Amino acid sequence: MEGGRDDAALVQAAQDGDQGAFGVLVARHGASVLSVTTRMLGPADAEDAAQDAFVAAFTALASFKQESKFSTWLYRIAVNKCHDRLRARRVFDVSIDEEHDDGWEPPDDETPHWELEQSEMAEAIERGIRDLPPLYRESFVLRHVEGLDYDEMSAILDAPRDTVKMRVYKARGLLCRALAHLSGAYR
Amino acid sequence: MTHLSMHRDDTHLLAQRFVDQDLTAAERESFADRMGRDGGLRHRVIALQGVAAAGSRLARPTVSAAFVAGVLERTAAVTKRPARVSRIAPPEAGQADTAKARRSLDDQRRSLAFLWTPHTMQWNLAQAAAVLLLAVAAGFGVARTIGPGAPAATSAAATPMPVMVRLVVLQPDARSVNAVGDFNGWDPGRTSLQQVSSGVWSVTLPLEPGRYEYMFVVDGQRWVGDPAAIEQADDGFGSRNAVLEVLPHGAPL
Repeated sequence: MEGGRDDAALVQAAQDGDQGAFGVLVARHGASVLSVTTRMLGPADAEDAAQDAFVAAFTALASFKQESKFSTWLYRIAVNKCHDRLRARRVFDVSIDEEHDDGWEPPDDETPHWELEQSEMAEAIERGIRDLPPLYRESFVLRHVEGLDYDEMSAILDAPRDTVKMRVYKARGLLCRALAHLSGAYR
Repeated sequence: MTHLSMHRDDTHLLAQRFVDQDLTAAERESFADRMGRDGGLRHRVIALQGVAAAGSRLARPTVSAAFVAGVLERTAAVTKRPARVSRIAPPEAGQADTAKARRSLDDQRRSLAFLWTPHTMQWNLAQAAAVLLLAVAAGFGVARTIGPGAPAATSAAATPMPVMVRLVVLQPDARSVNAVGDFNGWDPGRTSLQQVSSGVWSVTLPLEPGRYEYMFVVDGQRWVGDPAAIEQADDGFGSRNAVLEVLPHGAPL
Protein backbone atom coordinates (compact mmCIF):
# COMPACT_ATOMS: atom_id res chain seq x y z
CA MET A 1 0.00 0.00 0.00
CA GLU A 2 1.39 3.31 -1.07
CA GLY A 3 0.37 4.95 2.20
CA GLY A 4 2.83 2.72 3.95
CA ARG A 5 5.75 4.34 2.14
CA ASP A 6 8.64 4.93 4.46
CA ASP A 7 10.17 8.28 5.26
CA ALA A 8 12.94 7.90 2.70
CA ALA A 9 10.44 7.40 -0.13
CA LEU A 10 8.30 10.30 1.08
CA VAL A 11 11.34 12.56 1.35
CA GLN A 12 12.35 11.60 -2.17
CA ALA A 13 8.84 12.38 -3.43
CA ALA A 14 8.80 15.68 -1.55
CA GLN A 15 12.20 16.55 -3.03
CA ASP A 16 10.63 15.91 -6.43
CA GLY A 17 7.93 18.46 -5.66
CA ASP A 18 5.18 16.26 -4.23
CA GLN A 19 3.72 18.50 -1.55
CA GLY A 20 1.28 15.81 -0.51
CA ALA A 21 4.22 13.63 0.45
CA PHE A 22 5.57 16.40 2.63
CA GLY A 23 2.12 16.71 4.20
CA VAL A 24 2.30 13.05 5.15
CA LEU A 25 5.70 13.65 6.75
CA VAL A 26 4.28 16.58 8.73
CA ALA A 27 1.39 14.45 9.91
CA ARG A 28 3.66 11.54 10.75
CA HIS A 29 6.27 13.52 12.67
CA GLY A 30 4.18 16.41 13.93
CA ALA A 31 3.60 14.88 17.35
CA SER A 32 7.31 14.30 17.93
CA VAL A 33 8.28 17.81 16.92
CA LEU A 34 5.46 19.28 18.99
CA SER A 35 6.48 17.14 21.93
CA VAL A 36 9.96 18.65 21.83
CA THR A 37 8.87 22.24 21.26
CA THR A 38 6.10 22.06 23.86
CA ARG A 39 8.42 20.73 26.53
CA MET A 40 11.28 23.02 25.61
CA LEU A 41 9.31 26.23 25.19
CA GLY A 42 5.94 25.75 26.86
CA PRO A 43 2.59 25.63 25.09
CA ALA A 44 2.43 29.28 24.02
CA ASP A 45 5.31 29.09 21.53
CA ALA A 46 5.25 25.38 20.80
CA GLU A 47 3.12 25.32 17.64
CA ASP A 48 4.87 28.28 16.05
CA ALA A 49 8.27 26.80 16.72
CA ALA A 50 7.18 23.40 15.41
CA GLN A 51 5.83 24.99 12.24
CA ASP A 52 9.08 26.92 11.88
CA ALA A 53 10.93 23.62 12.12
CA PHE A 54 8.86 21.99 9.37
CA VAL A 55 9.12 25.01 7.11
CA ALA A 56 12.90 25.08 7.66
CA ALA A 57 13.03 21.37 6.87
CA PHE A 58 11.01 21.91 3.71
CA THR A 59 13.25 24.79 2.66
CA ALA A 60 16.39 22.74 3.25
CA LEU A 61 14.96 19.51 1.85
CA ALA A 62 17.01 19.67 -1.33
CA SER A 63 20.19 19.62 0.75
CA PHE A 64 19.07 16.63 2.83
CA LYS A 65 21.08 13.70 1.48
CA GLN A 66 19.34 11.01 3.53
CA GLU A 67 22.63 10.11 5.21
CA SER A 68 20.76 10.12 8.51
CA LYS A 69 17.15 9.26 9.20
CA PHE A 70 14.69 12.01 8.33
CA SER A 71 13.46 12.01 11.93
CA THR A 72 16.98 12.60 13.26
CA TRP A 73 17.47 15.50 10.90
CA LEU A 74 14.05 16.91 11.77
CA TYR A 75 14.65 16.63 15.52
CA ARG A 76 17.89 18.50 15.06
CA ILE A 77 16.13 21.32 13.24
CA ALA A 78 13.41 21.41 15.93
CA VAL A 79 15.97 21.53 18.74
CA ASN A 80 17.78 24.38 16.99
CA LYS A 81 14.53 26.29 16.59
CA CYS A 82 14.00 25.90 20.33
CA HIS A 83 17.52 27.18 21.01
CA ASP A 84 16.83 30.25 18.86
CA ARG A 85 13.71 31.08 20.83
CA LEU A 86 15.31 30.42 24.20
CA ARG A 87 18.20 32.68 23.24
CA ALA A 88 15.74 35.38 22.26
CA ARG A 89 14.21 35.06 25.72
CA ARG A 90 17.76 35.24 27.11
CA VAL A 91 17.24 32.08 29.13
CA PHE A 92 19.42 29.81 27.10
CA ASP A 93 23.10 29.76 27.78
CA VAL A 94 25.11 27.09 26.04
CA SER A 95 27.83 27.45 28.65
CA ILE A 96 25.59 25.87 31.30
CA ASP A 97 27.06 22.46 31.32
CA GLU A 98 29.13 19.78 32.83
CA GLU A 99 31.32 22.01 35.01
CA HIS A 100 28.24 23.51 36.53
CA ASP A 101 27.21 20.80 38.93
CA ASP A 102 23.95 21.73 40.50
CA GLY A 103 23.61 18.76 42.73
CA TRP A 104 22.44 16.06 40.46
CA GLU A 105 22.67 13.36 43.02
CA PRO A 106 19.71 13.48 45.35
CA PRO A 107 20.50 12.89 49.01
CA ASP A 108 19.01 9.71 50.39
CA ASP A 109 16.21 11.51 52.13
CA GLU A 110 15.24 13.46 49.03
CA THR A 111 14.03 10.71 46.78
CA PRO A 112 10.43 10.63 45.67
CA HIS A 113 8.09 8.29 47.43
CA TRP A 114 5.82 7.70 44.46
CA GLU A 115 2.69 8.32 46.35
CA LEU A 116 1.26 10.47 43.59
CA GLU A 117 -1.54 9.31 41.35
CA GLN A 118 -0.57 8.74 37.74
CA SER A 119 -2.12 12.00 36.54
CA GLU A 120 -0.49 13.93 39.35
CA MET A 121 2.79 12.26 38.47
CA ALA A 122 2.48 13.27 34.82
CA GLU A 123 1.77 16.83 35.85
CA ALA A 124 4.66 16.82 38.31
CA ILE A 125 7.08 15.42 35.75
CA GLU A 126 5.97 17.97 33.15
CA ARG A 127 6.59 20.73 35.67
CA GLY A 128 9.91 19.22 36.67
CA ILE A 129 11.00 19.04 33.02
CA ARG A 130 10.01 22.65 32.49
CA ASP A 131 12.17 23.71 35.42
CA LEU A 132 15.29 21.88 34.22
CA PRO A 133 18.10 23.90 32.63
CA PRO A 134 17.51 23.74 28.85
CA LEU A 135 20.42 21.42 28.03
CA TYR A 136 19.23 18.88 30.57
CA ARG A 137 15.63 19.43 29.57
CA GLU A 138 16.19 18.61 25.91
CA SER A 139 18.31 15.61 26.80
CA PHE A 140 15.68 14.15 29.11
CA VAL A 141 12.90 14.78 26.59
CA LEU A 142 14.76 13.13 23.71
CA ARG A 143 15.91 10.20 25.81
CA HIS A 144 12.82 9.33 27.79
CA VAL A 145 9.82 11.12 26.32
CA GLU A 146 10.87 10.47 22.73
CA GLY A 147 12.66 7.22 23.56
CA LEU A 148 15.82 7.85 21.52
CA ASP A 149 19.18 6.19 22.04
CA TYR A 150 22.36 8.06 22.88
CA ASP A 151 23.85 7.73 19.41
CA GLU A 152 20.88 9.40 17.76
CA MET A 153 20.79 12.04 20.49
CA SER A 154 24.45 12.73 19.90
CA ALA A 155 23.69 13.45 16.24
CA ILE A 156 20.65 15.59 17.07
CA LEU A 157 22.33 17.63 19.78
CA ASP A 158 25.69 17.82 18.02
CA ALA A 159 27.47 16.77 21.19
CA PRO A 160 29.59 13.75 22.07
CA ARG A 161 27.73 10.67 23.21
CA ASP A 162 29.22 10.78 26.71
CA THR A 163 28.32 14.44 27.13
CA VAL A 164 24.73 13.69 26.20
CA LYS A 165 24.68 10.80 28.64
CA MET A 166 25.88 12.99 31.48
CA ARG A 167 23.16 15.51 30.72
CA VAL A 168 20.54 12.80 30.90
CA TYR A 169 21.99 11.55 34.19
CA LYS A 170 21.88 15.04 35.63
CA ALA A 171 18.35 15.60 34.38
CA ARG A 172 17.16 12.41 36.06
CA GLY A 173 18.87 13.37 39.30
CA LEU A 174 17.37 16.84 39.28
CA LEU A 175 13.92 15.46 38.53
CA CYS A 176 14.22 13.03 41.43
CA ARG A 177 15.03 15.93 43.68
CA ALA A 178 12.16 18.05 42.38
CA LEU A 179 9.69 15.21 42.83
CA ALA A 180 11.00 14.43 46.29
CA HIS A 181 10.16 17.95 47.37
CA LEU A 182 6.79 17.60 45.79
CA SER A 183 5.91 14.29 47.39
CA GLY A 184 7.13 15.74 50.67
CA ALA A 185 4.70 18.59 50.22
CA TYR A 186 1.89 16.13 49.64
CA ARG A 187 2.54 14.29 52.85
CA MET B 1 37.97 16.19 42.75
CA THR B 2 38.34 14.52 46.13
CA HIS B 3 38.57 10.84 46.63
CA LEU B 4 35.26 10.91 48.46
CA SER B 5 33.42 12.60 45.61
CA MET B 6 35.04 10.18 43.17
CA HIS B 7 33.53 7.40 45.18
CA ARG B 8 30.13 9.07 45.28
CA ASP B 9 30.25 9.71 41.56
CA ASP B 10 31.23 6.13 40.91
CA THR B 11 28.20 4.83 42.79
CA HIS B 12 25.95 7.32 41.15
CA LEU B 13 27.29 6.61 37.67
CA LEU B 14 26.74 2.93 38.23
CA ALA B 15 23.18 3.68 39.35
CA GLN B 16 22.54 5.79 36.25
CA ARG B 17 24.06 3.18 33.97
CA PHE B 18 21.98 0.54 35.72
CA VAL B 19 18.84 2.56 34.86
CA ASP B 20 19.99 2.70 31.23
CA GLN B 21 20.69 -1.06 31.28
CA ASP B 22 24.17 -0.06 30.28
CA LEU B 23 26.17 -2.25 32.70
CA THR B 24 28.14 -5.32 31.76
CA ALA B 25 26.90 -8.57 33.22
CA ALA B 26 29.65 -8.53 35.85
CA GLU B 27 28.98 -4.90 36.79
CA ARG B 28 25.27 -5.57 37.02
CA GLU B 29 25.74 -8.51 39.32
CA SER B 30 28.07 -6.61 41.60
CA PHE B 31 25.79 -3.57 41.64
CA ALA B 32 22.70 -5.63 42.39
CA ASP B 33 24.57 -7.12 45.29
CA ARG B 34 25.34 -3.64 46.62
CA MET B 35 21.70 -2.59 46.23
CA GLY B 36 20.67 -5.68 48.18
CA ARG B 37 22.78 -4.51 51.10
CA ASP B 38 22.11 -0.75 50.81
CA GLY B 39 18.47 0.34 51.14
CA GLY B 40 19.33 3.97 50.42
CA LEU B 41 21.02 3.07 47.15
CA ARG B 42 18.11 0.83 46.22
CA HIS B 43 15.72 3.66 46.94
CA ARG B 44 17.69 6.07 44.73
CA VAL B 45 17.79 3.64 41.84
CA ILE B 46 14.04 3.10 42.07
CA ALA B 47 13.57 6.87 42.05
CA LEU B 48 15.75 7.25 38.94
CA GLN B 49 13.89 4.46 37.20
CA GLY B 50 10.66 6.13 38.24
CA VAL B 51 11.37 9.46 36.58
CA ALA B 52 12.55 7.72 33.42
CA ALA B 53 9.37 5.65 33.29
CA ALA B 54 7.18 8.67 34.05
CA GLY B 55 8.84 10.54 31.18
CA SER B 56 8.11 7.73 28.78
CA ARG B 57 4.45 7.70 29.78
CA LEU B 58 3.83 11.38 29.11
CA ALA B 59 1.07 12.16 26.64
CA ARG B 60 1.84 12.77 22.97
CA PRO B 61 0.67 16.14 21.71
CA THR B 62 -2.19 16.09 19.23
CA VAL B 63 -1.49 17.45 15.79
CA SER B 64 -4.29 19.84 14.91
CA ALA B 65 -5.80 20.69 11.55
CA ALA B 66 -4.60 24.22 11.81
CA PHE B 67 -1.08 23.02 12.43
CA VAL B 68 -0.69 20.98 9.24
CA ALA B 69 -2.62 23.49 7.21
CA GLY B 70 -0.35 26.20 8.53
CA VAL B 71 2.77 24.29 7.57
CA LEU B 72 1.49 23.55 4.08
CA GLU B 73 0.40 27.12 3.58
CA ARG B 74 3.84 28.34 4.51
CA THR B 75 5.66 25.74 2.41
CA ALA B 76 3.46 26.61 -0.57
CA ALA B 77 4.53 30.22 -0.12
CA VAL B 78 8.15 29.05 -0.08
CA THR B 79 7.78 27.25 -3.40
CA LYS B 80 5.98 30.25 -4.90
CA ARG B 81 4.05 27.98 -7.18
CA PRO B 82 2.72 29.65 -10.30
CA ALA B 83 -0.98 30.27 -10.25
CA ARG B 84 -2.73 27.49 -12.05
CA VAL B 85 -5.04 29.63 -14.08
CA SER B 86 -4.73 27.29 -17.02
CA ARG B 87 -6.46 24.56 -15.06
CA ILE B 88 -9.57 26.63 -14.62
CA ALA B 89 -11.93 25.97 -17.48
CA PRO B 90 -12.98 29.12 -19.26
CA PRO B 91 -16.72 29.66 -19.19
CA GLU B 92 -18.37 27.88 -22.06
CA ALA B 93 -20.90 30.61 -22.58
CA GLY B 94 -18.05 33.05 -22.87
CA GLN B 95 -16.78 31.38 -26.02
CA ALA B 96 -19.33 33.34 -27.97
CA ASP B 97 -18.33 36.56 -26.39
CA THR B 98 -14.57 36.98 -26.38
CA ALA B 99 -14.65 40.18 -24.38
CA LYS B 100 -16.68 38.59 -21.62
CA ALA B 101 -14.46 35.56 -21.56
CA ARG B 102 -11.36 37.68 -21.27
CA ARG B 103 -12.93 39.80 -18.55
CA SER B 104 -13.86 36.65 -16.71
CA LEU B 105 -10.29 35.35 -16.86
CA ASP B 106 -9.02 38.73 -15.71
CA ASP B 107 -11.37 38.47 -12.77
CA GLN B 108 -9.97 35.06 -12.03
CA ARG B 109 -6.44 36.31 -12.11
CA ARG B 110 -7.24 39.29 -9.92
CA SER B 111 -8.75 37.06 -7.34
CA LEU B 112 -5.77 34.73 -7.16
CA ALA B 113 -4.61 36.41 -4.00
CA PHE B 114 -7.73 35.02 -2.43
CA LEU B 115 -7.59 31.76 -4.28
CA TRP B 116 -4.28 30.86 -2.71
CA THR B 117 -5.50 31.70 0.73
CA PRO B 118 -6.35 28.45 2.44
CA HIS B 119 -9.91 27.86 3.44
CA THR B 120 -8.96 25.56 6.22
CA MET B 121 -11.12 22.57 6.79
CA GLN B 122 -11.20 20.28 9.71
CA TRP B 123 -9.26 17.11 10.21
CA ASN B 124 -8.57 14.42 12.62
CA LEU B 125 -5.33 12.74 13.44
CA ALA B 126 -6.07 11.05 16.68
CA GLN B 127 -4.42 7.89 15.42
CA ALA B 128 -1.68 7.37 12.89
CA ALA B 129 -4.08 6.07 10.29
CA ALA B 130 -6.90 8.40 11.15
CA VAL B 131 -8.55 10.65 8.69
CA LEU B 132 -6.54 13.68 7.92
CA LEU B 133 -8.36 16.45 6.25
CA LEU B 134 -5.41 18.62 5.54
CA ALA B 135 -6.67 21.79 4.07
CA VAL B 136 -7.99 23.51 1.11
CA ALA B 137 -4.65 25.00 0.73
CA ALA B 138 -2.42 27.24 -1.20
CA GLY B 139 -0.71 25.32 -3.94
CA PHE B 140 -3.31 22.61 -3.78
CA GLY B 141 -5.70 24.70 -5.79
CA VAL B 142 -8.53 26.53 -4.19
CA ALA B 143 -9.76 28.15 -7.31
CA ARG B 144 -12.53 30.38 -8.31
CA THR B 145 -14.30 29.05 -11.30
CA ILE B 146 -17.49 29.19 -13.18
CA GLY B 147 -19.96 26.60 -12.09
CA PRO B 148 -21.01 23.88 -14.50
CA GLY B 149 -23.89 25.06 -16.58
CA ALA B 150 -23.79 28.52 -15.13
CA PRO B 151 -22.90 30.98 -17.85
CA ALA B 152 -20.60 33.72 -16.73
CA ALA B 153 -22.79 36.51 -17.89
CA THR B 154 -25.69 35.59 -15.67
CA SER B 155 -24.02 33.95 -12.70
CA ALA B 156 -21.86 36.93 -11.90
CA ALA B 157 -24.76 39.18 -11.09
CA ALA B 158 -27.43 36.86 -9.76
CA THR B 159 -25.98 33.92 -7.84
CA PRO B 160 -22.79 33.87 -5.79
CA MET B 161 -19.83 32.44 -7.64
CA PRO B 162 -18.99 28.89 -6.66
CA VAL B 163 -15.69 28.36 -4.95
CA MET B 164 -13.59 25.40 -5.95
CA VAL B 165 -12.95 23.64 -2.68
CA ARG B 166 -10.52 20.78 -2.48
CA LEU B 167 -10.93 18.26 0.28
CA VAL B 168 -7.71 16.48 1.13
CA VAL B 169 -7.75 13.46 3.37
CA LEU B 170 -5.02 11.16 4.60
CA GLN B 171 -6.22 7.57 4.66
CA PRO B 172 -3.17 5.40 4.05
CA ASP B 173 -4.94 2.06 4.25
CA ALA B 174 -8.14 2.90 2.41
CA ARG B 175 -9.15 1.30 -0.88
CA SER B 176 -11.71 4.01 -1.54
CA VAL B 177 -12.79 7.25 0.07
CA ASN B 178 -16.02 9.10 -0.66
CA ALA B 179 -17.26 12.40 0.65
CA VAL B 180 -20.84 12.72 1.82
CA GLY B 181 -22.48 15.87 2.99
CA ASP B 182 -24.96 18.62 2.45
CA PHE B 183 -23.37 19.25 -0.94
CA ASN B 184 -24.39 15.89 -2.40
CA GLY B 185 -27.46 14.86 -0.47
CA TRP B 186 -25.34 12.54 1.71
CA ASP B 187 -25.13 10.07 -1.12
CA PRO B 188 -21.92 8.02 -0.86
CA GLY B 189 -22.06 7.19 -4.56
CA ARG B 190 -21.79 10.74 -5.82
CA THR B 191 -18.44 12.15 -4.69
CA SER B 192 -15.42 9.88 -4.74
CA LEU B 193 -11.93 11.02 -3.83
CA GLN B 194 -8.90 10.09 -5.91
CA GLN B 195 -5.67 8.93 -4.35
CA VAL B 196 -3.22 11.60 -5.41
CA SER B 197 -0.16 10.36 -3.53
CA SER B 198 0.96 8.42 -0.51
CA GLY B 199 -2.42 7.72 0.99
CA VAL B 200 -3.55 11.26 0.32
CA TRP B 201 -7.05 11.32 -1.16
CA SER B 202 -8.46 14.37 -2.81
CA VAL B 203 -11.51 15.74 -4.55
CA THR B 204 -12.31 19.21 -5.82
CA LEU B 205 -15.87 20.44 -5.52
CA PRO B 206 -17.53 23.60 -6.83
CA LEU B 207 -19.47 24.87 -3.84
CA GLU B 208 -21.46 28.00 -3.43
CA PRO B 209 -20.62 30.01 -0.34
CA GLY B 210 -22.37 28.58 2.67
CA ARG B 211 -22.15 26.12 5.49
CA TYR B 212 -21.86 22.42 4.78
CA GLU B 213 -21.75 19.43 7.07
CA TYR B 214 -19.94 16.39 5.80
CA MET B 215 -18.22 13.13 6.61
CA PHE B 216 -16.06 10.66 4.75
CA VAL B 217 -16.92 7.09 3.88
CA VAL B 218 -13.90 4.80 3.83
CA ASP B 219 -14.03 1.57 1.82
CA GLY B 220 -17.72 2.04 1.30
CA GLN B 221 -18.69 1.29 4.86
CA ARG B 222 -16.78 3.19 7.51
CA TRP B 223 -18.23 6.64 8.12
CA VAL B 224 -15.54 8.83 9.55
CA GLY B 225 -16.36 11.98 11.44
CA ASP B 226 -13.87 14.43 12.78
CA PRO B 227 -13.65 14.69 16.57
CA ALA B 228 -10.85 17.24 16.34
CA ALA B 229 -12.70 19.56 14.00
CA ILE B 230 -12.71 23.21 14.85
CA GLU B 231 -16.41 23.22 14.24
CA GLN B 232 -18.66 20.21 14.45
CA ALA B 233 -22.31 19.43 14.57
CA ASP B 234 -24.26 16.51 16.00
CA ASP B 235 -25.51 14.30 13.23
CA GLY B 236 -28.44 13.02 15.25
CA PHE B 237 -27.02 9.48 15.15
CA GLY B 238 -24.45 9.80 17.90
CA SER B 239 -21.61 10.98 15.70
CA ARG B 240 -20.25 14.35 14.82
CA ASN B 241 -20.15 15.87 11.39
CA ALA B 242 -17.36 18.14 10.35
CA VAL B 243 -18.48 21.57 9.29
CA LEU B 244 -17.11 23.34 6.26
CA GLU B 245 -17.61 27.05 5.86
CA VAL B 246 -17.18 28.18 2.27
CA LEU B 247 -16.54 31.88 2.17
CA PRO B 248 -17.45 34.10 -0.76
CA HIS B 249 -14.59 35.35 -2.88
CA GLY B 250 -12.89 38.28 -1.28
CA ALA B 251 -14.33 37.62 2.15
CA PRO B 252 -11.94 38.36 4.99
CA LEU B 253 -10.70 35.17 6.58
